[in-house]
Amino acid sequence: MTGRMGINWIGLWTIIRREWSRVWRVPIQAFLAPWISALMFIFIFGYVVGGNIRHIAGHRYVEFVLPGVLMLNVVNAAFLQSTSQIYFQRFLRYIEETLVSPLSYVEMIIGSLAMTIVRSVVTSLGILVIGYAFGATHMYNIFEFLFWIVSVSIIFGLLGIMIALWANNFEQLTMLNVFFIAPLSFVGGVFNTVSMLPPFMRWIAYANPFFYFINGLRHAMIGFNEAPEGLGVLVTLGLIAVLGLATWRLFSIGYGLRE
Amino acid sequence: MTAATPAISIEHLRKVYRGGTVAVEDLSMQIAPGDFFGFLGPNGAGKSTTIHCITGIATVTSGKIEIFGIDAVKDYREARRMIGLSPQEFNVDTFATVTQIIDWMGGYFGLREAERKSRVDMLIQRFDLTAHAKKQFRELSGGLKRRVILARALVHDPKLLILDEPTAGVDVELRLDLWRYLQELNREGKTILLTSHYLEEIERLCRTIAIIAAGKIVRQGPKEEFFTVPGGLESAYLAATGKPVTHAAAGAA
Repeated sequence: MTGRMGINWIGLWTIIRREWSRVWRVPIQAFLAPWISALMFIFIFGYVVGGNIRHIAGHRYVEFVLPGVLMLNVVNAAFLQSTSQIYFQRFLRYIEETLVSPLSYVEMIIGSLAMTIVRSVVTSLGILVIGYAFGATHMYNIFEFLFWIVSVSIIFGLLGIMIALWANNFEQLTMLNVFFIAPLSFVGGVFNTVSMLPPFMRWIAYANPFFYFINGLRHAMIGFNEAPEGLGVLVTLGLIAVLGLATWRLFSIGYGLRE
Repeated sequence: MTAATPAISIEHLRKVYRGGTVAVEDLSMQIAPGDFFGFLGPNGAGKSTTIHCITGIATVTSGKIEIFGIDAVKDYREARRMIGLSPQEFNVDTFATVTQIIDWMGGYFGLREAERKSRVDMLIQRFDLTAHAKKQFRELSGGLKRRVILARALVHDPKLLILDEPTAGVDVELRLDLWRYLQELNREGKTILLTSHYLEEIERLCRTIAIIAAGKIVRQGPKEEFFTVPGGLESAYLAATGKPVTHAAAGAA
């Protein structure tokens, strides 16, 4: 019994099974709500309003808007999944089930992120189907598309874990979303190109990480790109590394987890 | 690991909570493998904190804890594989079903599906939970909830079972049944650490007893040593915890 344990794959899979079961207790909140919200965005901004807007680089406005709407929902799905799973575990104290079991901190984090990615991918598939109904879904590069969905899910999954470890009530749980995620995502180029902004404001877009996420997904779907080549990927991988290390550190010192 | 390696070895354990409260101070004790060990003490004495330090729910401020010779902090994954914990408070997803709660715990401990299913079925039957297997935890009575917690602690067949007030709030029938089952598990070789406020429970089940007060072990030894004075365990307990021994207690020997 003294031998070093390998990866606890069954434990990891169990975290995913448990979270899948928890998410399916609230399917309307988890999946139907973002799909309906995306449908409204695509219909009103893309189809109704967009019908009166000239093409952008040869693409209809609804095709331009769809990647941004999709990214907004990926960010929300990832953040809500990770905050709710960690916070409810703390709130009902069943985080102790994993604390007393032979799961490493890395396995606990990966297990949480895996379900975050699953929820984001399911949310994305639904929105792609809705976009298809409007003739707006295109796939310029499927691998790029997967990279952006998965990596952005990881970033907001990690942020969600950290917020859920810090929060002591439901009010605090929503603070990052209200003051940071929602404002930055809306000014990150969901509805407009950088060139539509007044010149003195364009630096705001380039300083906003959401711009790179939306721009990256837009390139993956319709081939439209406004950022310097490779910069978005660098920003994204850098954020994953920094947030991943910070989350691991919080787990290893037991912040918000152990008494 | 030799035959003499203690199931639990604690050396100079100190636990200070973030607010500065010292919950455990310089606590040292050893529990022999196969022992049925009673851990007594008043509320707030440090019993649950000690258990939380052993199992990883709480961080250790200083000191050393070994489980069958394995460092419970440095090699925590290996150490935890050998421990089954039934905590004092219900720490479960209250919307999950009885089967899910036990099955998921087996999963965290790396049990393969076939083995897990067999253990879950056996424990559901053993704790008379068959009729409630598909019910959510929140729908169960207090006694049934306690059974689920015990079944969960046993799903990975641990060598060391830690039971923090397992019979608090349960009816006499379950208490007697549980006592029989614990004795059976102990005969099979499992080491059991039991905390309880029911002295008759400790007296009936345990072979070794330790009393903790204000975060320190104030008395420890074989059960028989606690019955050499008039009033037996109750008097010994009251004397060790600094409470006055009344005539009623002293005369109850």
